Amino acid sequence: MGVPQSGEMAIHCESDLIQARKLVRELTTDLGFGVTDVTRIITAASELVRNIYRFAGAGVMQWQVLEQDRRVGVELSFVDHGPGIADVEVAMQPGFTSGNGMGMGLPGIKRLMDEMELKTEVGKGTDVTVRKWLRG
Amino acid sequence: MAAEALSVIKVRDMLLVTVPPDPDDETITALQDRVLEAMERHAPKGLILDITTVESLDSFFARTIAETTQMVALMGGLTVIAGMRPAVAITTTQLGLTLGSTLAALDVDMAMDLLANHD
Repeated sequence: MGVPQSGEMAIHCESDLIQARKLVRELTTDLGFGVTDVTRIITAASELVRNIYRFAGAGVMQWQVLEQDRRVGVELSFVDHGPGIADVEVAMQPGFTSGNGMGMGLPGIKRLMDEMELKTEVGKGTDVTVRKWLRG
Repeated sequence: MAAEALSVIKVRDMLLVTVPPDPDDETITALQDRVLEAMERHAPKGLILDITTVESLDSFFARTIAETTQMVALMGGLTVIAGMRPAVAITTTQLGLTLGSTLAALDVDMAMDLLANHD
């Protein structure tokens, strides 16, 4: 029983975090990612799910397997309708964390992944999409 | 992984806790409480957190370890994490997490030597 090639799960509370980590582990391991990349992707997902329930209260994690120019990758999107990020430039500065150092800053997450896109609007919500490609 | 599954073991003059592979926040918080209670009861030299089976370490986990180390230090003990996997060490560093003044050892055996030889 593998994880479907694409799908989404609702994020409401801390117990969803464990489910999200399990799902990402299974998905990326099945795709053939090595243990270090699996750990990187799980950790990035863990931080982004944490940001959703901490700052927005609720949201979704969407996943999709990518096949492009004979390369394979995984795309994860974390979408919420929370407060949004007022100053994206500041949020992307190294070492930035909002509040108590919890929910690591986006620059750290970006370093773990190959690509990251951030769409956010104050009062509307945030959509963080990250991608990792299989090497080789 | 349920918080009830955690055990804090006293070995000689040290405390040993084996952290489960994918602990939830509740388990991590419970770990801190149990450790501090055991510090008071046994007055050990220090604490060894065996993270050999831990598969990923995020900001909450790192922050709680750093905090626990500080609390244990205030009670007069040292904290050593033992057995961090290479993938976890790489990810933790790239994400920018730090573990405060927590000491580290390759495995539990070396962590015990570290505590035993520390004055």
